[in-house]
Amino acid sequence: MALALDRQPTVRTRMTRPYSHERRAELDLNRRRWLKLGVASLLVASWPGRLLHAQSPPLSCSPPIPPNHAPSNGGPCPYPIPWLDKNGNHNQSPMPDVELSNIYHFQGKLARCNGFHGMGTDNKGHRLAWGTPTTDYSYMAGEYWAARQAHHAIFAHT
Amino acid sequence: MPATGLTFSADGNTATLQMTNVPIIDQPRWPALDAETTPAVMDFRLVFKSTDEPVKYEDPTRQYRFEGFKAGAQLEATMRVPAIDFTFTTDPLETSRCDFAVMGTEVNGKYYEAASGR
Repeated sequence: MALALDRQPTVRTRMTRPYSHERRAELDLNRRRWLKLGVASLLVASWPGRLLHAQSPPLSCSPPIPPNHAPSNGGPCPYPIPWLDKNGNHNQSPMPDVELSNIYHFQGKLARCNGFHGMGTDNKGHRLAWGTPTTDYSYMAGEYWAARQAHHAIFAHT
Repeated sequence: MPATGLTFSADGNTATLQMTNVPIIDQPRWPALDAETTPAVMDFRLVFKSTDEPVKYEDPTRQYRFEGFKAGAQLEATMRVPAIDFTFTTDPLETSRCDFAVMGTEVNGKYYEAASGR
């Protein structure tokens, strides 16, 4: 859910060191100083005909007021995972034997990953480490059920 | 933006998620409740590649089933925080690694029982 950058310049040779428990401990200590880019964008586009547009207008989750006494079937937004939502969470960190979906009443393609680590360079030329155990990304592409009808969409969790 | 945001290889073993100008926030003190935020923008390309190691995560009591394969995932990205004149660009995609990745298909909720009969 968050992409973290270590703003402490690191020497280039650190990139080539084998990852080790000592290296992890070092990163954990530095993590308090890290710039955290809390990326909580959930992006949707209709499936399959349109693109994933970052600038897509947000979908209103409010149930429409039906005209002419028509039935009300709720809002069109995806339904959260019930046992996660009760704790205020919409997802959990991906790992074996957990619910990987962010949406209840869903069927389709899904991929998740986390625990990224890598290196990069800022605009001042500093070499910086990025990634934490919670740097996770995912896509979900398929059908979800809301407002008593099927919807097709692509979701990206960054 | 590329022609498609989410693309799959012909064999379905590789998925690429690519987006540009994604509005994000720079929140250095996250997860503190009063952590201040600064608008930022991100471009990224994420590539999943499945392995041949199958996985299946299922819990009938919670009505979900994921079937797929363990995968590798690599990411390259550029983040821009205009307010503080900060830009960060990761090294090329091939240099990144992640600890856990899977790709496959999921059914849950109302679709769980229906899919069980297939």
